[in-house]
Amino acid sequence: MTAVSDPQSVAALAAEAVDNRVNLDFETEGMTLNMGPQHPATHGTLRIIARLDGEQVISAEPMCGYMHRGYEKLTEVRTYPQINALINRIDWLGSFANEVPFILAAEKLMDVEAPPRAQWIRTILFEMSRIANISLFLGDFGLQLGGMTAGFYAFRDREWVLNQIESATGGRFHPNFDRIGGLKDDLPKGWIDSSHTAMDKLLAFCDELEDLLVGNEIFQARTRGIGVIPAETALSYGLSGANLRASGVDWDLRRDNCPPGLVYDKADWKVWTHPDGDCFARTWVRLQETREAAKIVKQLLDTIPSGPVMAKVPRIIKVPEGEAYVATENPLGEMGYYVVSKGDLVPFRVKIRSASFNNISIVPWVARGAYVPDLISILGSLYFILGDIDR
Amino acid sequence: MGLVESGKLPKPLAKLLNISRKYSIWAYQWGLACCAIEMGAAFASPRYDVMRLGVIPFPASPRQADLVVIAGTVTDKLAPAVVRLYEQMPDPKYVISMGSCANCGGPYWDSYSVTKGVDQLIPVDVYVPGCPPRPEALLEGIILLQERIAHEDMAERWKGEPIVVG
Amino acid sequence: MRTWPSVGRVSQLSSADTETPEAAAPQIDEAREAVLAEVTARLGEGVVGSHIRPGDDLWIRVDRANWVAAAEAAKAMGYRFFDFLSAIDWLPSPFGRDMDSQEDRIVSGAPAKEPEAMVQGYAGGETRFQLLARVYSITAGMGITFKCDLPDDDLTAGTWSNVYAGANWHEREAREMFGFSFDGHPNMINLYLPADFVGHPLRKDFPLLARRVRPWPGIVDVEPMPGVADEEGEGE
Ligand code: SF4
Repeated sequence: MTAVSDPQSVAALAAEAVDNRVNLDFETEGMTLNMGPQHPATHGTLRIIARLDGEQVISAEPMCGYMHRGYEKLTEVRTYPQINALINRIDWLGSFANEVPFILAAEKLMDVEAPPRAQWIRTILFEMSRIANISLFLGDFGLQLGGMTAGFYAFRDREWVLNQIESATGGRFHPNFDRIGGLKDDLPKGWIDSSHTAMDKLLAFCDELEDLLVGNEIFQARTRGIGVIPAETALSYGLSGANLRASGVDWDLRRDNCPPGLVYDKADWKVWTHPDGDCFARTWVRLQETREAAKIVKQLLDTIPSGPVMAKVPRIIKVPEGEAYVATENPLGEMGYYVVSKGDLVPFRVKIRSASFNNISIVPWVARGAYVPDLISILGSLYFILGDIDR
Repeated sequence: MGLVESGKLPKPLAKLLNISRKYSIWAYQWGLACCAIEMGAAFASPRYDVMRLGVIPFPASPRQADLVVIAGTVTDKLAPAVVRLYEQMPDPKYVISMGSCANCGGPYWDSYSVTKGVDQLIPVDVYVPGCPPRPEALLEGIILLQERIAHEDMAERWKGEPIVVG
Repeated sequence: MRTWPSVGRVSQLSSADTETPEAAAPQIDEAREAVLAEVTARLGEGVVGSHIRPGDDLWIRVDRANWVAAAEAAKAMGYRFFDFLSAIDWLPSPFGRDMDSQEDRIVSGAPAKEPEAMVQGYAGGETRFQLLARVYSITAGMGITFKCDLPDDDLTAGTWSNVYAGANWHEREAREMFGFSFDGHPNMINLYLPADFVGHPLRKDFPLLARRVRPWPGIVDVEPMPGVADEEGEGE
């Protein structure tokens, strides 16, 4: 399972070299490079303090907290439906996906299950938010590596998905559409057909981007063999999602531990992995994932059952006593909510396990020995959303 | 621009200056949170295309910017950086506060770490409400700002009331 | 393969009828029982409590001396994926359960309320603060949630960061949010909060000042609709 490849051993050697150099007496005077809190490459307010020796990074320490909004405390003073509106904003690019694990955790505690149609629509919207999220990553990553064009394409084609999400939920960004026991509304008329069209456009976008970006020589030069993360390290840091699969670990919560309430087993799709564990692998896995997501959506659109979209739940939601942890495979990785309820309108404690927090905690490890421009590739390819790190 | 400060600018000249300022706003985009993506959509996507309004959204540094869009949540930890950014911008400078968070704290009105409104830190010209505001709303905010610039008496710049997009 | 329950299955809460016969039959989750047995075998006396929800999850409470040993045992058993590490403050909020009732309308200066009794969750507990951590095995497809009591007068525990590197940041977060400290942690500085922040926000007795000054404007949302007889809607 461990990805052993040339780039990886090169990176290990480089790290060793850095260590040795630090130990030498005639150490060149280091330089401290401060990136952020506002820096285009961190797309958000992450601050990185890097110690440099020439062009090489000796240590890089992310300083987060510039976007810390106190979700875990706020959930203790909000009712379940209010929390649902709040947690949309954690991973703001794939908002709908944030709601799902929380709703599923509450449903588990209450022992309700959404009707099949709601489960289908949930899964479809979940995958659409994945596309909305990752397509922006692909464009943005290109942009960070100097290829502006990819960013424009991403912003253009992402609108197709956002249109679909908006026409179904009423919100481009923060839909707040999921409810305990089902969904707020049924789909609008003609939505299924227009979604098919949108997904076709997205598949075309993926092909286009593959030519434009992933096949690009400069792009490959800047990502191949950079920021290699072996599988074992990735696991112990708790990396998840495409970052983990790019290190060769074949694990996807959607397939392997799909919580009841999502219907991934009703579609035929594939989990992509890549053995290299470098920046290129992460991008490539994400690109394939976008394609798979579009395929899942298309298949589920065809098999969507009829029926109600809301189970019978009390109007005022009190969740019985208990604890539950539900995690789903969000666009950024595993996102889970550990909900402790005491039978009140408000949860007693909610621990939010967000993917980016773990994903980015590996930066000090992986940036050691890298060069300054590689730092951008590494940060970009690890792909984080500030709200998801800082919560 | 000693003339401007003393308010002795001849009217036609002032008008000319204002028109040229109005259509050449260099906007520094400070993406902070979710709103930043909608701002990105407004500024960088072909669908909304802010450049047709005469706004150039890619200055490399705040020192070249006329306008800053504060899009997203300002936390107490970030507040000093916001102030510093504002101080680095050359006069005349304008601020658009985008989204409920920047306007008043928004969904985090009771949080322990969020600044409840960026106007506690820096003067704001246009408030664009919404969570997030649609890109169109931001564009409207920019148009309102341009209108304001067009009729601006430069010496009196900070005396007006802020605009709220309806 | 899941089987779908009948559409619109009602929850237990929605009516007074008892209609949960399935819950009565105790299920045995052999895989999780085996995991629990193995952890117990490795830690011996260290395991002081456990809880299994069949087919779903496993909770193990260890004592403080065995906190790090628990991580090592789990890793040796193939639980290599680190999920999260955090804590729970079981103190009932002295400010009333915010928004649960009109009690929320206390303003600053009002005396704190009489606290309710402290009730710990699954796997039991004796102290106010409990560490909470979760690891996952990709091969077995199961997770373990570890808990550990921390006595009030000494909020320290060993660090997991040597076993699971990812615990590093999580422990830093737990430190500033709850005021713990972790022995042997390489870099115990604030992660989120500014260095001069006073207090530990996730402690239950940390007040949200904005809320004390001005009650939640949406408080009417949780009142029953006029004319609807709804016993459940009333706060205590
Ligand atoms: S106003 Fe809403 S969308 Fe904008 S940053 Fe705040 S939470 Fe995000």
